[in-house]
Amino acid sequence: MEQTLVAEAKDAPRAGDLAFDRLYRSSRDDVYAYVAGLLRDEAAAEEVTAAAFERAYRKRNRFDPERGEPRAWLFGIARNAALDELRRRGRQAELTAEPEDVDARALDEGAEHSERRLAVSAALERLEPPERELIALKFFAGLENSEIARVLGIGESNAGTRLHRAMTKLREACDGNA
Amino acid sequence: METPRDRDDRLAEDLRALRPTPHPQFAAELDERVAAGFPRRSRLRLPSFNRLRAVPTRRLLIPAGGLAVLAIAVSTAVIATKDGEKESAGGGGSLLSLTAPASGDSAAAPEEAAPEASSAGSAAAGAEIELSEDSEANLTRLDNRAVERSATLVLGAAPADVADDSAQVFEAVHAHNGIVMRSSTHEGEPGRAGATFELLIPSAKLGDALADLSAIDEVRSRHEATADITAPTVNVTELLRDSKARVDSLLGQLAGAETESEREAVEAELAQERRHRARLRAQLQHLQRRADLSRVLVRIETGAAEESGTGGGTWGVDDAIGDAGQILAVAAAVAVVGLAILGPIALIALLAWLTHRAWVRRERRRVLS
Repeated sequence: MEQTLVAEAKDAPRAGDLAFDRLYRSSRDDVYAYVAGLLRDEAAAEEVTAAAFERAYRKRNRFDPERGEPRAWLFGIARNAALDELRRRGRQAELTAEPEDVDARALDEGAEHSERRLAVSAALERLEPPERELIALKFFAGLENSEIARVLGIGESNAGTRLHRAMTKLREACDGNA
Repeated sequence: METPRDRDDRLAEDLRALRPTPHPQFAAELDERVAAGFPRRSRLRLPSFNRLRAVPTRRLLIPAGGLAVLAIAVSTAVIATKDGEKESAGGGGSLLSLTAPASGDSAAAPEEAAPEASSAGSAAAGAEIELSEDSEANLTRLDNRAVERSATLVLGAAPADVADDSAQVFEAVHAHNGIVMRSSTHEGEPGRAGATFELLIPSAKLGDALADLSAIDEVRSRHEATADITAPTVNVTELLRDSKARVDSLLGQLAGAETESEREAVEAELAQERRHRARLRAQLQHLQRRADLSRVLVRIETGAAEESGTGGGTWGVDDAIGDAGQILAVAAAVAVVGLAILGPIALIALLAWLTHRAWVRRERRRVLS
């Protein structure tokens, strides 16, 4: 993972671009997964993911390594882009479209798994948007608690507590489905 | 038996399995855009502005500061140039005034004062000067402005030349119908020898007279000043007109007086009004004289040039320091004015930006709540 974008950009004219390229390659799918989990809309997720990377590219020389990891910085930009998209469309995270055909994928993996994952997917739908965002950041994007805290602008222990609550609610919802 | 930890691990595994993945075509297109550096779809935006936005703020500070300094320097130069032109045109003491001598125009008093001012003589000098024609001419040229002018000229001379220079001063004064009010000449060693002249020169001829006086010897300093005395002149003129009307009225009353006591009362009032009118006329004459005759002080010095005071004929270190101080003061004034203009604008822009930013943040929070 890249520690700095600015420091490398100072060393060589193209170093910042190379650092961004590495950040992009390591985070592209994670960002998309997080945004898709938040927006629940495949087309919108693609659009917002592309917009987020473009914003990050334009701002790459303004990145301050003292304020956090590049990955947390990138997810902060992606989060703002996703929230702007939600705001623009005047709707919240509960959208009708699924990011992809979860049911079909689950069925390919066996009856037991498919049934369980359908229940998890349904439980996920019933979570509040902030809780679903936490789940998306943790399990879809694969962020550490410290990175989640940085993205959400909260303390790390607070992020861990919220995540624990969200997982508890999700587990209870799964049990309810079962 | 499944433990809570096992359930959490399985739930986490299920969640990771549900992780959305981007469509390969979208991923490929995004890869291309990243490799191309996100080219702009619209050509309306200027590429130079894009490059500017990409530059870190700290790197923009140096050119921005340079531009601000350049703007202050240009403004200072423009203002200093204008000030220099004003001083030159107004007869302010400077080296430039030597190359652009004053024309000697001055204003005259209003119509009532003209007859009285026609023989403005000087008892001390024992001379008479005809001023009315020049005064009327000046009055026309300067749109009824009455301006009092004065000048100070310091000449440097060798002790042996003081007497000869003094004689030339007298000649120059007489050549322009001027008056020598006072004069004193001292002989002796360099620094002690010298001469002083207090002159009255017709304002219309002041420029020519100063040019002739400056040609007598080395000019060490020359200073000219003006003072607008239009307001008091107009005021006295109006008072004089009112007084004349009052006298005419009293004369009418006197003609119509029927009793001796009534006649005596009117005559007493008439006498008082005539005294008042005489005082006003004297004031007007004095103002007219101040406008028509410029007071000039000529000093002939011997010895070192620095004794002649500031603004000598040569530009030295003191002058440089003075000019530098003046330029710095003007630059500071320009900077203050610039800040006074740009400060509020920047503050409003900053407040608008902060408000917009706070509003966007609030809206983003509301979206998920």
